[in-house]
Amino acid sequence: MLVAPGTGGPRVVALNRAARAVGIKLGDLVSSARAKAVDLQTRDADPAADDAGLRRLALWCVRYTPFAAPWREDDASGVFLDSSGCAHLFGGEARMLDLIEHGLRRLGMHPRVAIADTAGAAWGVAHYGPAGFHIVAAGAQAAALRGLPAAALRLPGETRALLHRLGLRRVGDVMDQPRGPFTARFGAGLLLRLDQALGTAPEPISPLVAPPVYHARAGFLDALTAAEHVVEAARQLLDTVAEELARDRVGARKVRLLLFRLDGEVLTVTFGLARPSRDAAHMARLIALRLERQPEGLEADFGFEAIAVHVLAVAPMPEQQTLLGLSEEPLAETGFAQLIDRLEQRLGEHAVRRLHPRQSHVPERAVTAKAVGDAAPDWGDTNGRARPLLLLPYPELAEVMALVPEGPPQQFRWRGMLHQVTGAEGPERIAPEWWRNPGAEMEAERDYYVLETGQGQRFWLYRAGHYGAGPVPNWFVHGVFA
Amino acid sequence: MPGASAENIAALRLTVAKLEQASPGAAAPAYLPLGLREEHANPLASGLFRSALNEIVAASYRDQAAAIGFAAAVMVRALASGCGPAVLVTSRYGFADWGRLYGQGLRRLGLDVGRLILVSARDDRDALWAIEEVCRAKAGVAVVAGTLAGDPDLTQSRRLNLAAAGCGAPLLLLRRPRGVAATAAATRWRISTAAAARDRFGSLAHSRWQVDLERSRYGRTGRWLLEWNHVAHRFDLATVVADRPLLRQPVTVGEEGGRRLTS
Repeated sequence: MLVAPGTGGPRVVALNRAARAVGIKLGDLVSSARAKAVDLQTRDADPAADDAGLRRLALWCVRYTPFAAPWREDDASGVFLDSSGCAHLFGGEARMLDLIEHGLRRLGMHPRVAIADTAGAAWGVAHYGPAGFHIVAAGAQAAALRGLPAAALRLPGETRALLHRLGLRRVGDVMDQPRGPFTARFGAGLLLRLDQALGTAPEPISPLVAPPVYHARAGFLDALTAAEHVVEAARQLLDTVAEELARDRVGARKVRLLLFRLDGEVLTVTFGLARPSRDAAHMARLIALRLERQPEGLEADFGFEAIAVHVLAVAPMPEQQTLLGLSEEPLAETGFAQLIDRLEQRLGEHAVRRLHPRQSHVPERAVTAKAVGDAAPDWGDTNGRARPLLLLPYPELAEVMALVPEGPPQQFRWRGMLHQVTGAEGPERIAPEWWRNPGAEMEAERDYYVLETGQGQRFWLYRAGHYGAGPVPNWFVHGVFA
Repeated sequence: MPGASAENIAALRLTVAKLEQASPGAAAPAYLPLGLREEHANPLASGLFRSALNEIVAASYRDQAAAIGFAAAVMVRALASGCGPAVLVTSRYGFADWGRLYGQGLRRLGLDVGRLILVSARDDRDALWAIEEVCRAKAGVAVVAGTLAGDPDLTQSRRLNLAAAGCGAPLLLLRRPRGVAATAAATRWRISTAAAARDRFGSLAHSRWQVDLERSRYGRTGRWLLEWNHVAHRFDLATVVADRPLLRQPVTVGEEGGRRLTS
């Protein structure tokens, strides 16, 4: 039995069959409940954990239909599934409900399930109809609800209490009342719920996971445990999805693989594609690479009883002539995009980059790395200034000797090595960009020099500040030329 | 026509390489020439091998930047001769001592930075996987390059060479200056730093590298001081450059001088 603070002390908010059997009801004070059952066990209610559990349950249900939405209001909760277009996969609505009920019972639950044209009617019949599962025939919501208690309309507590006081016990009583006075008395909420249950008002429900554009699923009698079996099963599902994609002349941009584990957990693998694709073998390869990358392996435990493939985003993709094509160009392009996908799957999303120039005078700020999918960078022509092939992540202090004031050093020591300067070019003065960040105006101007040493190495050094008043400026090595 | 004779020589060389090849079934390797002018191209015209592993080794620790520069210059040449992108796979700590590749610096060497794909791998295992993956993919890549933190052994270099076999692009592997292990590479280039060429105003103009071709599967080995022309995307023999006005045609002088000023 779960308890939560209420008026007059802690009250019962949830209870199991044993508690119900001794006559305890929802909303009872814990003290009076204890009087009915001495060996009563109570726990504090944890709404956050309830929410998390409900989400997990909704995710579990995604195996039956991609559209699953957890629903929770006050003391009522449940999961709405949109079964349109899915029931036939399981041999009809009755068979599907049966499967769902069995699955939930195996997880140790006591589900009440119903199917109807509207979410409201299904909820009402599931909660207040007689035990067992129900199928409300198309358009028969009114008849099914009429005899049920008014609470079957998913109403808040005070509305229910008020209806009870007015003697409107059944949904039918509410239906038969004139609408005008009702709205004045109860607000729009009651009639909205009634209309939603009857299907005359729309009820938007937001699904737990973004509904896919295309999807396919498969269940297995023997649970899959080996990664290669999972990949092969995914490939077969992707094959069927690819046919639908080809029919609509689109390619997948984002794909999610759902793995339903025997113990009720659902693992997901989501990946994007550099170019729209309907190449099942390629996508299966990406899945295999991702599974390889997981440090703890597949986490198959008891195995997966079902898997589903959801295509979450698509982009137009015209028919391509892959054989006997006159030009090899499109083939190489596709091959390159697929290569990028594979590298990203194995090495991580940010492993494959391209350098882009940035508008900045400060050398370390003048370049940035972006994903390959971004627009190609325009590097234009060089501005003729000497820039090193390799830039140190942070400028490193150099010990300089034999200085000419306001000129390059004759000798410097860096990383313990003494370098004799045999040639120098510079200075190139680079001022700090004070408009970028406050405090930058306190940074010193940099005078950059290219210094060639006796061994032929070329370094990029700068002096921070000027000689004269104030402390002696420091020298830093910032880059190495090839 | 000097251009035509260079082509003839290249074609002849290819024929010779085909005749020399031990296994008749294998595809003939094509070359990525360094672009030396034909008058002194003789020993080097073979350049690097496409569809094979080419190793670039720094002669010592301080020559690593030069080795990276030489590799970048080779990539420039490969990009100029093909249409696909260049892929550089770096293992973490590959050449971390020397900082990271700087876009503006690559641009200075003449590299089309927009066509360079950088792939960073966590360790050598992933880096080797990525290099092989790039080589085996039919992705139309112009050149593949890689750096490793450790030193690949003979088996790994064989694997890389095998992966590069069907690729069509040259595979460059930057190796650290360690003891020279046995390798399956088609060529191995040992690079040392050299003082840069000065232009006529006395400022540093072109990078120069001391290049030792230590090993070549088909051609001869040798040792040259090469100068990288980042405008013409071509190597020159630096020793001859000193008295170049005697050898060069006047048209080329004007053209190059003009370009250098605007570059």
